[in-house]
Amino acid sequence: MAKGNEKKHRKSVSYAKWAYIFITPFFISYILFTLIPQFLTVYNSFFENYRNGLEQVGPNFVGLGNYIKLLTPDSSGTIDFLRYLGNSLAMWIAGAVPQFLIALLLAVLFTSSRLNLKGQGIAKTIIYMPNLIMASAFSMLVFSLFSNVGPVNKFLIDAGILKEYYNFFATKISVRTIIACMNFIMWFGNTTIVLMAGIMGIDQSLFESANLDGANSLHVFFDITLPLLMPILSYALITSMIGGIQMFDVPQVISNGKGTPNMTSTTVIMMLNNYLGISKNYGMSGALSVMLFIITGILGMLVYRSLARQYKD
Amino acid sequence: MKKLLSILLVLLMVLSLSACGQKEEPAAPAEEGEGKVFHIYAWNEEFKGFFEKYYKVPEGIEVVWTIVPNEGTQYQDALDLALMNQESAAADEKVDMFLAEADYILKYTNSDYTQDIKALGVTNFANTYPYTVEAASDASGVVKGVSFQCCPAGMIYRRSIAEDVLGTSDPDEVQAAVADWAKFDEVAAKCAEKGYLMTSSYAEDYRVFSNNTSSPWVDADNNLQIDPAIQTWMDQAEAYVKNGYTLTSGVWDAETTEQAAKDGKAFCFFGPAWYYNFCMGPAFGADAVAAGTDSVGDWGLCDGPQAFFWGGTWLLAATGSDNPTMLADVMDKFINDEEVCTNLIKNEAQFTNNQAVNNKFAEDPEFGNPYLGGQNDTAVFAEGAKNIKFQNQTIYDQGCNESLQTYFVEYLQGNVTKEEALNNFYKALHEKYPAIKVPEA
Repeated sequence: MAKGNEKKHRKSVSYAKWAYIFITPFFISYILFTLIPQFLTVYNSFFENYRNGLEQVGPNFVGLGNYIKLLTPDSSGTIDFLRYLGNSLAMWIAGAVPQFLIALLLAVLFTSSRLNLKGQGIAKTIIYMPNLIMASAFSMLVFSLFSNVGPVNKFLIDAGILKEYYNFFATKISVRTIIACMNFIMWFGNTTIVLMAGIMGIDQSLFESANLDGANSLHVFFDITLPLLMPILSYALITSMIGGIQMFDVPQVISNGKGTPNMTSTTVIMMLNNYLGISKNYGMSGALSVMLFIITGILGMLVYRSLARQYKD
Repeated sequence: MKKLLSILLVLLMVLSLSACGQKEEPAAPAEEGEGKVFHIYAWNEEFKGFFEKYYKVPEGIEVVWTIVPNEGTQYQDALDLALMNQESAAADEKVDMFLAEADYILKYTNSDYTQDIKALGVTNFANTYPYTVEAASDASGVVKGVSFQCCPAGMIYRRSIAEDVLGTSDPDEVQAAVADWAKFDEVAAKCAEKGYLMTSSYAEDYRVFSNNTSSPWVDADNNLQIDPAIQTWMDQAEAYVKNGYTLTSGVWDAETTEQAAKDGKAFCFFGPAWYYNFCMGPAFGADAVAAGTDSVGDWGLCDGPQAFFWGGTWLLAATGSDNPTMLADVMDKFINDEEVCTNLIKNEAQFTNNQAVNNKFAEDPEFGNPYLGGQNDTAVFAEGAKNIKFQNQTIYDQGCNESLQTYFVEYLQGNVTKEEALNNFYKALHEKYPAIKVPEA
């Protein structure tokens, strides 16, 4: 009797304790490297704090001064912060639409028990490959491919399609298309794999019974796969959107940090980078980051709400 | 196989050891009580090459280089961080010496992060060009560093095109034909008639104008101002692009430099000794020579429409250096040591900061640059160097010069209006330098 009691007692104490111990490192590093810096960012956004040459200006408390500066329109009525945010979103959407459509299609094809495609392993590896290359290295590669003296122009001229080189990096539409395509190539494999995991999590018997009831593939896709995939799809969409808002390395390298033409490839993080560059303007970059945090939160909520409602129906 | 490999390795080790043993003159021992690591910050390998070849590092001292590219102020960012941590850094990690360019040297000389080199023992400036000392001095005249090169610049023109367009390739006669900007325009028109380009970049002669401004980029109240000389450059660039006298690619873009190759169409380039000796790869590079697409010998050098200088590398003494003796010695050697300076001219095609050595080569009828068909470029520069003034500089020059070219070219390419281009320039400056007051932003 006494022995059994002791055993029970020991069991319940030790396992719970270990669980907490195992998750402690995460919380410590999260607090140190994420939570505290986040609070500091908010704190810094209320101060004028930058360097002029080697001379430090501030920190002087300016209240909401940095936010007001960030949201004050210039003489022509544009607010640069919103304009650059618009650039980020436009380039993200241009890449994300094909990214999700193709990823969805591939995920369905790869998981279809009816097709049972061969060589899936290799195909999945290949489509994931572009994600393994460093974004900046990939950008350099694309930049040299499309440069005025690069192979693309050489080919177009040799084939007689163009008379003289076309400057791909001087027109808005071509720069944005190149950036969107790069984002698409880098991320569609990743999305495919996430969506496949989602589809494989759906109960197979649902598909079987649908087939028995004579539903065609379209019906199965729209009435079974898509609704049941919604939680994963909205997760993938929201993380992709956050990535899109934080777009930086591809446009930075492609435009050599200048956001040309006419600032149409300047993303909001490139603006942040300019603030943080030579003058270490912690005040303005803090304000920008806080604004971005709020906007990302709102957009994320909107996407989640609209998708989640569909899921409930 | 393994055995063979190990034997090979042993052999290699022995060989390298014996190679060490053959050193002719042993270097001087390191100064007692000073650091064992000499730390240098630089933005490219140029000076590193000269230093390794021509400077004998005292025994027991290890030289560590930190090299960060210059563009977009990356180098300054890294350097600033290191200098600000200088006090708390371990002795062996302290920056001892760093390199700076004319565009931003003021930022460092006017700060406490650099120290008086006269106090360190560098006192002989008799042979240096006065502007190089002026540039390395703070507002009260304390000298903080030296330059190992002097960068008077000129117009590098293509002899074959000059022959075709002007009927002569003689430097004096070409100089007479481009003696001022009005004449330069006339030559540009003639070049265009014959199917040549005057220059191959809208910004090729930017430095000639920006170096001859009458006011600094930023006035005493931190207001940005566009000097009349810069205004003239903008007008010229606009006209030249419109008339097809030049291209809309940047100075360093491949389209521009390719125009210096064998079948290139550009009449002239602008720059100092380092420009044509190191930056005109398609004209003189080893790859081009090997492929037979080079244009070695087809070039001449003259002063051009206006005297100017471009760049130059200064060696500045970092405050808190733990190797003051070696620091002073390096600086002294690169301006006063005849052997070092002679090597720089003879082997490295530099124009040094030692007037006596430069003049010796300038007067030598045997001396000439093969790239320029044997013309004695040192003689041209020795004359030009006398007219250089270091004036109207600000700590923002690199940002201003780079950004203006970047955003103005969009107007030349027809993508934006002139007003939009200037606005983009103002905005970029304002984001980077909050202290500058720009128009309407």
